[in-house]
Amino acid sequence: MRHQELDRILSSETGIVPSSGFTTSVMEAVRREAAMPPPIPFPWKRALPGLAACLAILVVAVFASHSGAAPQPASVPFWSRMLSDASTALATAGRLGLGWVALALLLSLASVTLSMRLTGWRS
Amino acid sequence: MSASDDQADVERVLAGDSAAFEGIVRRWQGPLVNLAYRFCRDRGRAEDMAQEAFLRAYRRLAGWRRDAAFSTWLFALATNLYRTELQRMPARTVPLEDAAEPHSDSSADETLAAEARDVAIRRAVLGLPGKYRDALVLFYFHHMDVAAAAQSLGLPEGTVKARLHRAREILRSKLPRLAALPWKKAR
Repeated sequence: MRHQELDRILSSETGIVPSSGFTTSVMEAVRREAAMPPPIPFPWKRALPGLAACLAILVVAVFASHSGAAPQPASVPFWSRMLSDASTALATAGRLGLGWVALALLLSLASVTLSMRLTGWRS
Repeated sequence: MSASDDQADVERVLAGDSAAFEGIVRRWQGPLVNLAYRFCRDRGRAEDMAQEAFLRAYRRLAGWRRDAAFSTWLFALATNLYRTELQRMPARTVPLEDAAEPHSDSSADETLAAEARDVAIRRAVLGLPGKYRDALVLFYFHHMDVAAAAQSLGLPEGTVKARLHRAREILRSKLPRLAALPWKKAR
């Protein structure tokens, strides 16, 4: 099959004509859309203080557990101190049950993503 | 179709006159339904997809930046929607290897055979992998204008050219029997 022949076939297609009620149908949908109240925006103003408080509690908890740990000599290498700090933070997070919180958040996110995909991301 | 008509209607809709959107629908219904049809080869579904594209355009009208033509923005929005729709629910296609093989016996009318072949090749486009199908559909929809196809797809022109080349190669390699049918008497 030559290049030009393929071009001829694919470009010579006769178009279809929308059905007579198409415009009416679209405009009905537009009118319904216009009549609907605007979507409720996420209440960031109300949520932000709560989120900030959660973050602050987490930071305080991590620092509190870190200050309780035995002080390390300055001669310990930087990466070793970082590793130690990270493991302490993880241990604290584990004690506070943050792993479960993270798992629950991930599951919620996956569930929301899946449902949005199934409904075709209608906006 | 006038760009100033589009702009005037958009301004009216944004000012609160939703009825002005009808002008946009009337001007662009043909192209949007036809583009959808090339993606799904089903008239009913094409109209549903085009209606959804118009609704999405209505909702996002404020997002049209005047630096691009309204049509460019509308086609990009519609293309994006159609591709998502096809991912969600693919068009009914046959594997390229099994694409329609029209009867080529000598008694058959050659014109009919050529038309059947043309239809089979157009349907076979839907059997291509998505990125090649999209490039091919947009390229021919925009009357073989690579720049317009690239704008609708939101891709660089070079990428679209490469995909077109590959798409044609796949079609040619997968449809050898169709290629053997008569060409001269095609419409």
